[in-house]
Amino acid sequence: MNFAEKMLQIDRRIIFVLIGICTLIPLLYPVGLAIKVSSEVRGVYDYIEALPEGSVFLLSLDFDPASKPELYPQAIALMRHAFKKNLRVIGMTLWVSGTGMADQVVTQVANEMGKVSGKDYVFLGWSPGVSSLIITMGQDLYKAFPSDYYGHPTKELPVLNGVQTLRDVNYVVSLAAGTAGIESWYVFGKDKYRFELGGGCTGVIAPGLYPLLRSGQINGLIGGLRGAAEYEVLIGQKGRAVAGMDAQSATHFAIIGLVILCNLFYFSLRTSRSRTGQLS
Amino acid sequence: MTFLRRQLPLLMTFVMGIIFIAQYYVPHPVSEDLLTTVSKWLQIIGGFALILGVTSLFHQHAVKIRRKEPGWGYSFVLYAGMLGTIAVGLWVNGKESVNGGMTAFGWVYSYTMVPLQGTMFAILAFFIASAAYRSFRARSREAAVLLIAAIIVMMGRVPLGEYLVPITGDITQWILNVLNASVRRAILIGVSLGAVALSLKIIFGVERSYLGGGKE
Repeated sequence: MNFAEKMLQIDRRIIFVLIGICTLIPLLYPVGLAIKVSSEVRGVYDYIEALPEGSVFLLSLDFDPASKPELYPQAIALMRHAFKKNLRVIGMTLWVSGTGMADQVVTQVANEMGKVSGKDYVFLGWSPGVSSLIITMGQDLYKAFPSDYYGHPTKELPVLNGVQTLRDVNYVVSLAAGTAGIESWYVFGKDKYRFELGGGCTGVIAPGLYPLLRSGQINGLIGGLRGAAEYEVLIGQKGRAVAGMDAQSATHFAIIGLVILCNLFYFSLRTSRSRTGQLS
Repeated sequence: MTFLRRQLPLLMTFVMGIIFIAQYYVPHPVSEDLLTTVSKWLQIIGGFALILGVTSLFHQHAVKIRRKEPGWGYSFVLYAGMLGTIAVGLWVNGKESVNGGMTAFGWVYSYTMVPLQGTMFAILAFFIASAAYRSFRARSREAAVLLIAAIIVMMGRVPLGEYLVPITGDITQWILNVLNASVRRAILIGVSLGAVALSLKIIFGVERSYLGGGKE
């Protein structure tokens, strides 16, 4: 077994350690490289920025704890922006396993910004049905959610004054880790009830949502941790996402390095085998 | 019995299918009320689907325990976890927090489910790196194109990549917005046309596999 063969069969634990180090060191010693804001993320930011005070903003936190590292910072940044603009915020989730976390995000940011539940914001929680839930909300919000997450009757909440259906919501953003998520909100919501829709998603599903972005079916897309970091830069409140970008830079470069090395060894092995007539 | 098993579901599917295709194009209040009512029905049925799912899971793991199949101990863990969570959930009426304080259900969620799911997802990064090293090789021209595109996108999506080679950011945007979006759109159109065709087949009774097997 020559060197190239040995390197191609390297113990995977060495790779695990390398990735671990590449994640840990930048988190401990951040560099803070500049983050360029993309037009997709700016689309969401600009729309919220242009909304007049008191407009209704619905944030659907359609993810579970598995996607917390990428989508939690997006949710925090969006909530901070919406509260800073004094929008009326409606929080909810289409994922039952994400209810507790969604409640934490909404409550945490609301407390931080001094907002009052029922007056400035409402957390509706989760209700079954996904597509039928969105349709019911489009027909009558109070039939879909007769009470909020804490059991208060939604009809009595000042934050929902003048809001009868999804048609009365000025902007909806779905932060999605898969289905149900942005596509569900477009197909069953925006298409019929004509509200403006934006999206945020994990890095892995972002490429699949570009057709919706290009056709204007969503007006902006916050993709993965990078998207969250861009949003934090836009609102001027750097948080977990910006802090995580150095670690992401290092791990991306580690993987690129590994891929280049593996190809170098592969071609070196192929060349030596073809010389000795062993190429399969 | 054949009527109840076959004809009635087929008839219901046909009638409801036609009504709700038409409903989309009729904004009359009666039509909108019908949609509101049926959407509420669907939500209730969706709730029952959860019960069905939990029952099925319990049944599947009960069989594993009874037959002492390999790994049957994990089924006990599942039973303990699920029954324990349901018990504390019912105790606090399904609330993770009350008046700002965390309930037992919230504790289970925050300190069990959140870290477990987070860990599962985080492990992926390590396996992806290992898999990339072992299998991401330019064995053919197509694989080489994929490899180069992947490296550019990986560089263009992180600040260090854009700092070292500034053009990677713009190339990444072009790959995502033009190449990726056009191919995805083609796939999406194909899938959507397939979904429309399948829906029509179900409504008109051509596709009947959803009725399940069993005797006629």
